[in-house]
Amino acid sequence: MSVAAITIKDLTKDFSVGMTGVKVRAVDSLNLEVRDNEIFGLLGPNGSGKSTTIKIVLGLLGASFGECLIYGKPSHAVEARRSVGFLPEAPYFYRYLSGRELVCYYAKLCGVPRREISDAADSVIELVGMTEAAPRRVGTYSKGMLQRIGLAQAIVHDPQLVILDEPTAGVDPLGSAAIAEIIRELKSRGKIILLSYHLLAQIEGLCDRVAILHRGHLVREGSIDELVTESEAESLIVEGLRPDGKIAVEAAIAEAGGRWVRREKPRLSLDTLFLNEVQRLEKERSARAAEEKGSS
Amino acid sequence: MNFISLQQVGWIAGNTFLEAVRQKFFNSVLLIAVALVASSNFFQQFDFGTSELKFIADFGFGALFFFGSILSITVTTQLFFNEIENRTALTMLAKPVHKVSFLFGKWAGVQLLMLAFVALLCALLAVILYWRETSLMAEQRYEIFSEEGILRYSDIALFGFLQWLKFGLLSAITLFIASFSNTSIYTMIVGFCALVVCQLQYIARDAYAEMDQGLGRLLVQGIGLAFPNFQLFNVGDQLLFLTEETLPAGITVRMALYAGIYVAAFMLLALASFRHREI
Repeated sequence: MSVAAITIKDLTKDFSVGMTGVKVRAVDSLNLEVRDNEIFGLLGPNGSGKSTTIKIVLGLLGASFGECLIYGKPSHAVEARRSVGFLPEAPYFYRYLSGRELVCYYAKLCGVPRREISDAADSVIELVGMTEAAPRRVGTYSKGMLQRIGLAQAIVHDPQLVILDEPTAGVDPLGSAAIAEIIRELKSRGKIILLSYHLLAQIEGLCDRVAILHRGHLVREGSIDELVTESEAESLIVEGLRPDGKIAVEAAIAEAGGRWVRREKPRLSLDTLFLNEVQRLEKERSARAAEEKGSS
Repeated sequence: MNFISLQQVGWIAGNTFLEAVRQKFFNSVLLIAVALVASSNFFQQFDFGTSELKFIADFGFGALFFFGSILSITVTTQLFFNEIENRTALTMLAKPVHKVSFLFGKWAGVQLLMLAFVALLCALLAVILYWRETSLMAEQRYEIFSEEGILRYSDIALFGFLQWLKFGLLSAITLFIASFSNTSIYTMIVGFCALVVCQLQYIARDAYAEMDQGLGRLLVQGIGLAFPNFQLFNVGDQLLFLTEETLPAGITVRMALYAGIYVAAFMLLALASFRHREI
């Protein structure tokens, strides 16, 4: 059996607060395993222990109890981080460097051989769609561009495990969709991705499995389908049914021993609606531009 | 175990230097220091003869010490806290980078900056002294001027080197304070206090030399050892003029070793404290 990318066993983290050293428990007896080639979501409200868990996984914090392993190596060992890429929440980078210089700088720190740095940087910059903006200084980037160049620096050394802390925080839906697409592309390249989110809707279509944390405790863990499917209920989506038809359906359900629970109109998420509308307008605009070009 | 990567230290130092030279504060201090050293030339109306050259040299050495000390403490503090507050340290330390590489990289970056600062001021001072010396020699009013002049210019570089060592020490002390401090203002204030203590450390040494054996003497001796003696580096009065002996090479090497040992000690203390710091 292959070694799990991340193994967390009975992980507990206490912080001392104030002069009296009162202990506050940020993570409590957490057990988790992130496996090969999956997108794993760490969900929970602010203060649920997501960032603390990620910092322990990255070796930036020590655990009070329990253990955390990256591919079988203790996470506090620098060696364990060779196979890890990390994008922090709301990243801030050296403003005076260009996007390309920044990615090259991190490539050097990660030990990418000198002759490979240029190619590695160009390749990840292209992957995140920043080729045009790469020569510009990071100080001129928008939030979405910062997240994308942040993603590029996280993967420039070709790590097997990529940890992204709120990768779409503060980014508009279009930017979020672009980042989600990059994450899917990383998965298709065989990477394992650990995401931390507090906006649940954004993660639903992206993750294979999720863990929900609350006040440091693991509340639920499993695949999205396992967690959100109401196993006892089934939904029937119909179109063009006349009122007498609805009555007949209700009667048929009752006759077959079922119970009519609720009737509702299917809803799109606001994200989907926004994306659909923007994409429709963009298509129309492109078509108009093509027409104008053709007529002239 | 590969505990520290010199290559990583070099990359971090290079980036730290790049960040530092872009800071308005560095450029302002540099400009003021250059203006001050350059202005020493305008004191020639005093017509002091050789004393004038001594005056210009003291003025330049004083500016180097004063502005260099300010720069060393403030730039170290700023560069360290920029990394912590902007969370760029988080991104860096999440990579296979040891905390010791990070700290030494920061320190080395500041040292590169101080080297540029010291080199510039020393070069400027040498140019001004040479210009004034040759003009005084041309006037041939003073008998003490021999054919080859009266100044030994290599002593300016020697003084600059010793000051640079001192700034390195000051920077290591500041990094140690920053490693456990939560705010940059606290770090700077304590850093300047440490500078004063190190400048006046000889008082403690004189005191314990005259004290009887006992706890008090041990205490004062401890303070005397904990803080480096910055007066050792203030050798400007003994340098520069051909009539004086230059500093023997052996003493310079011993002073470099003295600085190196204290730098290593303060950097180790900084590492011990920084290891447990939450980033």
